[in-house]
Parts: sequence; structure tokens; C-alpha cells
Amino acid sequence: MGLDYDISTNEQNFVLEALKQDVRLDGRKLNEMREVNIKILPSEYGHVEVSLGRTRVGCKVSSEIVKPYEDRPFEGIFMINSEISPMCSPFFEVGAGGSGYGVGSNSSQANEEVLISRMIEKAVRRSNALDVESLCIVAGKKCWAIRADLQFLNYDGNFVDASCIAVMSALLHFRKPDIEVAGEDVVVYDTNQREPVPLSILHIPISITFNYFNPNGSEENIKGDLNNELILVDADLLEERLSLGSMTITLNKNQEICQMMKSGGLNIDASLIMNCCSYASKLVDELTEKIHNVLKQDAAVRTNKTEEKELRVFNER
Amino acid sequence: MSRFELYSPEGIRIDGRRWNELRQFHCQTNTHPNASDGSSYVRQGNSEVICLVKGPMDTTYGSSSTKQLPDSPVLSISINHPAFATMERKKRPRNDKRLTELSIILKRCFLKTIVLHNFARSLIEVTVTVLSFDGGLLATCCNAITLALIDAGISLYDYVSAVTVGLYDQTALLDLNSLEEIDLSFITIGVVGDSDKLNLILCEDRLPLDKLERLISLGIEGCHRLKGLMNDTVRQVGADLLSKKQ
Repeated sequence: MGLDYDISTNEQNFVLEALKQDVRLDGRKLNEMREVNIKILPSEYGHVEVSLGRTRVGCKVSSEIVKPYEDRPFEGIFMINSEISPMCSPFFEVGAGGSGYGVGSNSSQANEEVLISRMIEKAVRRSNALDVESLCIVAGKKCWAIRADLQFLNYDGNFVDASCIAVMSALLHFRKPDIEVAGEDVVVYDTNQREPVPLSILHIPISITFNYFNPNGSEENIKGDLNNELILVDADLLEERLSLGSMTITLNKNQEICQMMKSGGLNIDASLIMNCCSYASKLVDELTEKIHNVLKQDAAVRTNKTEEKELRVFNER
Repeated sequence: MSRFELYSPEGIRIDGRRWNELRQFHCQTNTHPNASDGSSYVRQGNSEVICLVKGPMDTTYGSSSTKQLPDSPVLSISINHPAFATMERKKRPRNDKRLTELSIILKRCFLKTIVLHNFARSLIEVTVTVLSFDGGLLATCCNAITLALIDAGISLYDYVSAVTVGLYDQTALLDLNSLEEIDLSFITIGVVGDSDKLNLILCEDRLPLDKLERLISLGIEGCHRLKGLMNDTVRQVGADLLSKKQ
């Protein structure tokens, strides 16, 4: 059983009063995200660490050649492994997201974990962000299996958004070894022999999470007609615990919703939800831009200038 | 593309409905008076669901052992999706992640609708069994749970009614069946009472953002209609009960 995160009444009131006055504890505005920092580890391809304020998530992408599933001979395999270890916060218990939970499980931590992993799964895998058909090598016999392992390093709220950015930037950065197919035989070239090839990514889904508060208490929300709920973007742990509901929207740059979930919590007017969506799409554009910039910078660092010069057909005189 | 014509140029869907028509909705409460404190049966088209509610009861009773929250009830919802409910008799793993997710979503959804302070430190156990599945799993379960909770006498602020809405090209289609659900991207919407406030949204497919508003507004209308139908049944049952007593 993971530890519960207890918040004193004093602290609670302080946060809520501050929110009513449009102030958050870390000085952000209500609709402001924390600083997103994407760090690509220099050692290899597809290893990324994303931090969102104090929330930190690592993602490592790896590949191997395996036999495809029987019922999908033309598709490769893509897996996202997102088990939350107690390392990031004592709030999570060992194995709660794995086989430990039952259908009727009541532990709120286990619930949280299932929702987090399902949301990442739906945002990235179900929305076909990675073109699995391009991973096929020999139909029914061999295909690439791409595996994204998420490591949750520190928990300060909003795992979904951070991991979505981490998985997508790791996938974009990853290069798989070049192969050559001759009939049924496959030759895999070493990364030194041939330049490894990037994955084919169809779109970049980015999640944005909104948290709701009602300054007049949750009962007013059901009985009253006021729509004065406070909406926060990218809540930290304290705010996440205190909030009366959350909604996660996953969008891509083409203005498509890949996944959207609002389960329970305060009842929110449809028009407010539409506002959230359009605001999210603005944030998504910024984040996508940011990911591309980071990748571009990394690509510039990685290109070996001297080797490139040596390989040139003509030399500068 | 699909071999079926999901929406004909004349505006008729596979099962003969128009775009804004619900499937036949039938509901009953108190179907299992001896097995539970509250029960309901909901049929939306060919989707059939039975819901049993036990409680409110002492938390020490029952299988779930959880830490006590001081001022709110423990609500446990489990969904049973047996192999015979679908055409394909696929064996499902016991810990199906999808069903777990749905039950968590439903649980969170009802925790805000039940008048919590009336049921402090008590356990409410909800079991949903899908008898036959034809689209709208989450929506049908949600409606069934609402009715069963009402039947169990658990005070709710208002009805929670849910419905699916799909998008075919430019047209929003209400209350999809499973054939439509496979081919179209859809969202499930849950509304509390007669308000325009959404309690539940679940979208698992890709959907253009600018179509969302249309889907939500159609969904809200569908939910209100369902709420009306459920309300009629509950009132009818109440009137019958009252006339028997006299």
C-alpha cells in the first residue's frame, strides 16, 4: 500500500484562497504550463529525459526483430511499458500497475496508475502515432518490435503530459539499424556500417491536462447555475490532490483529438470544455515546435563534421 | 472502407435510424429484489446490461479492504463482460485493462453524483453484467448504474445519463451500434440531470477538433432524452409501489 499524501487543512485553504485570487503557489498564472525541458541523452538514439517543473520522466526506445502477431502479419509491434515505481514518489506502490490490481480494486493509487498508463497508451499507440505497417520486414515472418520504456523519476503532478512528450520525442529521435532484405534473408547493418534509419512517425500527439476547482464548493457545482469553475493547466502534485476533477486532452498539430478523457469530477459546462480544447491546441502547437527545435539542435551536435568532409566528393581548395 | 453503407445519402443508417435517433430504450428497476438492494436492467438497442447494487453497508463486510476515508463512502464498481455477450467468443483475461479503466471512470463519475455525506464510512458495491453487447458499453453501464442506485435508495443529486456520439464524414450520429462503433470515431458523453454540464467525456479515436462541439451538443440532447425515459420508468415504478401500499 502506497503512502497517502496528506494535506493539512491550513495548506488546503491557503492554496484555494490563492487560486481564487488568480495566484498559484509557484507564481504561475492559472493557464500557464511549467517549464518544459527536453534533454536528449548523448550516448545513444532514443533516450530522452523530460522534466516538467519537478516532474521528471525518462523514456528509452529500443528495437529488436521478432515474429509478428499471427493475426497481424503485415504489422510490426509497438509497446509502451509504463510501470510506475515507488522511486518517483512513495505515493506509488510496487507492481500496482502490473498484475497486482483486480477489476474491483479500490486503491486510488492503483486506479491512478491504470488511468495514466491507459491514457499514454491511447494517446500514442491507439492514435497510430507510429506507423506500425512500416515496421514489417518479411510479412508474417519478421518485423521490428519497438519498445518504449518509460521511467518515472520524480512525481510532482501531471505524469501524463510529461510522458507523452517523452515518448514522442524519444520515438522521433530513435534510429533503428538499416536492413536489407533479399528474399527471406535479412541483413542487419551495424550503425557504423550504415547510417541508421528513423522511424516513420505519422503525427505527434501531445497531452494537456486541465484541473478544475470550484471556489464555492462542489455542491454548488451540481445545484447552481454558475459556471465559475477555476481551470488550471498543468497542475503540480499539491494542486492535483486538491482539485475536484481533471480532464486530459491529447491533440496533434493537425487539430485532431487523439484521446480525451474526463472522468467524473466537477461537472463542467460544454462551452468551458470547448474553450479548454482550443487553448490546448495552442499549447500543443508550442510544444510541438519545441520538440522539433530540440531535435534539430541534437541533430546538429551529432553530425560528425570531419567525417562528412572526408566523405565529400570534392574538397574545398 | 467498410462493406456496409453506414449512412446512406438519404440519411438512413444501417439499422434504419436517422442521425439524431436513439435506439429503442427499455429499462426496468428492481429486477433482482432478492439478490441485491437495488437492481436494474437496461436495454439500448441490442445492448443489454444488468446492474446490481449492494449497500450502503458496513465497510468491514465485503472483499475490498481499503483505507478508510473519513467522510466519503467506498464505492466499488466491477464490470462483468462474459464471453457470450459478443459475437466472437473471445476469452478475456481476468484483469482486462480496458474494463478496469471503464470501472474506474464510472466510479469517479458516480462519486461526485452520490450525496457523499449521507453515506460516510459505508460501502456501496456495484456489479454490472453485460448480457449482450452491441455498442455503447460505457454509456449503457452508466445508465444502468444510475437506475440501480436509485432503486437501492441511494441519494443522488440527479440522474447521470450517457450516450455515444459518432462522426460520419460531416454528420454526427447519435447512439452508435457496434457496427458503427468499429468504423467511426466516437465519443461517450455523460450528463448530469437536465443541465448542459458534462460529467463524463471519453474519446478514444482520432477526431477533428472542430467537429467536437457538434458532437457534444448532439450528445447532450441525447442524454436529456434518455434521462427523461429513465425518469418516466422510475416515476411509474414509484406510483405502482405507492398504489400497492394503500
